[in-house]
Amino acid sequence: MRILLINNDGAGFADYVEVAEDTTVNQLFQRQMGSARASNYLIRVNRQPCAADQVLQEGDRISITPTKIEGALR
Amino acid sequence: MRRAVQHRANHATPVLRFSPTAWAKLLFLRDYGNTEVGAFGISAGDDLLYLEDVQLVQQTCSWAHVAFDDQSVADFFDRQVDEGRRPEQFARIWLHTHPGDSPRPSLTDEETFDRVFGRSTWAIMCILACEGQSYARLRFNDGPRAELEIPVTVDYTRPFDSCDHEAWEHEYLANVQTQQPARITSTVTEPIVGSPFHEEPTDEWLESWCDYVEDDDTKGWDR
Repeated sequence: MRILLINNDGAGFADYVEVAEDTTVNQLFQRQMGSARASNYLIRVNRQPCAADQVLQEGDRISITPTKIEGALR
Repeated sequence: MRRAVQHRANHATPVLRFSPTAWAKLLFLRDYGNTEVGAFGISAGDDLLYLEDVQLVQQTCSWAHVAFDDQSVADFFDRQVDEGRRPEQFARIWLHTHPGDSPRPSLTDEETFDRVFGRSTWAIMCILACEGQSYARLRFNDGPRAELEIPVTVDYTRPFDSCDHEAWEHEYLANVQTQQPARITSTVTEPIVGSPFHEEPTDEWLESWCDYVEDDDTKGWDR
């Protein structure tokens, strides 16, 4: 099935990808992000926060975006 | 002439170039409040080092700190993709301001640049100080890693939009939430109650130091 995936790692990605039926959010994250720490990302399905074991559906929109972006003088 | 300029540009050190409008907007956002402010640079599709715009996300700011809201960052990504941009156009150039005259990155800046922008093929951290100094560093994360400081300039060679202070103000007010402690502007001195170790840190020392220096200058004139 086809889902829309958005993330900025590597060359960046905002396109449709094929995933197997019953793929979970966690499985997709591991496939796409490798050894990256999930705690450094906000993962949303159809613009809503999701559980790691949520099963993806045809046409879902998954975004994997960075968290804790902060700057400081010191 | 134009061809000659382009030829030189193709062989020069990379330069982070702002459109006049984007630069004016960044200055406007920097100076609107008395806190740091952060944004993402929006690159032209055919020239990723040319910024057409800077865009805020919701953020909590103090005089010396800025933190983006995670949900708002995700919303920003969604919005940009909906508008037809690629992630390399909107998620690679991290901009923020510093108070005073130092644009050099802090440990917090370095940690964020490494953790957040260290897995994309390239990224830029750009810091603009309140007194006008700027800093930009381009990092390549792919293959043999490399990074270099690059100049920041305003590029007038492309068509650009006019300023829109009203829209910029609206964007600022919709996204920037000020967090205490902000820069101390009051001259009222509060009596110390209880242990000073229980108080929030302030930058009152800076005002005291300025008063001291002014007093010292006055003495010099007397001599």
